[in-house]
Amino acid sequence: MRALRILVAGCVLALLGVLVWDVAHRSGGKIARDVDRGEIVKAPAFRLPRTTGGGKLSLASLRGKVVVLNFWASDCVPCKQEQRRLNAVAARYSPKGVVFLGIDEIDLNGPARAYLRHYDVRYPSVSDGDGAVAGMFGVTGTPETFFIDRRGRVVPPHIVAPPQGDALEAGIRRALSA
Amino acid sequence: MIRVALLTAAAAFALAVAAPASASEQHPTESELETMLACPSCHVPLDESDSPVAQQMKAFIRKRIAEGATRSQIVDELVGPPNNLGDAILAVPRTHGFDLIAWVLPLGGIAVGAVGVGAGAWRWSRRRASNSLLLADGPSLDPELERRIDEELLRFDG
Repeated sequence: MRALRILVAGCVLALLGVLVWDVAHRSGGKIARDVDRGEIVKAPAFRLPRTTGGGKLSLASLRGKVVVLNFWASDCVPCKQEQRRLNAVAARYSPKGVVFLGIDEIDLNGPARAYLRHYDVRYPSVSDGDGAVAGMFGVTGTPETFFIDRRGRVVPPHIVAPPQGDALEAGIRRALSA
Repeated sequence: MIRVALLTAAAAFALAVAAPASASEQHPTESELETMLACPSCHVPLDESDSPVAQQMKAFIRKRIAEGATRSQIVDELVGPPNNLGDAILAVPRTHGFDLIAWVLPLGGIAVGAVGVGAGAWRWSRRRASNSLLLADGPSLDPELERRIDEELLRFDG
């Protein structure tokens, strides 16, 4: 009888442990909130498959450059509205060590590739099929844009929806000077 | 003779169960796959979702069925490369790997519960039996009292 009690107590403790672990690991998603408060936070590491195929790309491989992280999806209308501007700004800032990286969120590969072809997106894009990286950043929809400085830190602003005015260029300048 | 009949019946049953399963694996239907999968953005079964990504998934399923892909191939291509939508799109957990826990844990819980109930029932019945034995082995009644009880019982029976 004592062994049964120990077994039951062990099961309850194990389930509690799983619950605590789950809650602790759902603490992601604070990046957008913290950046919106004006804080500078460390960018989470990720490694995702390239949308156009040809292996994976990690954020760490871009260390030393300013990274403009743009979350998008092929069915997202505002993404289409901002895409040509993103292309133009990416081309303009490329010589200054700024890399644009698209993160295709919860999307099928076929439509995503068609989107990249249709809008002639020249900068790299990776597929976040299950939205895990979007979750880490606290992305609530598409498009959303983050700026990562040369030291791998996310700096304000965090742009939700297509950028207005020169918000995109201002974000890049801030990341360059951080 | 009975053994042969039983074996024949078992083989017929296994064939009856396995044949449709194999047919479904080789020639899946769109509706069957849509009940097996869930929309990754709204987390409802695919056949109940009309979200843009659900529509993309339905179109993908239609295309792959037309191309002659098997059920496993279609599911694998949605969960893993090239679409990488992850295990969250599975409406029913897989029966291998880590997902096996989803099946084993409830069944294990039921088994442990059944063992617990069985052990409790066994202990209870043993206690009752020992109590009966204690009563049976108890001190004998006073002869006078026993005689009076017999008389009372006879009166009731009469």
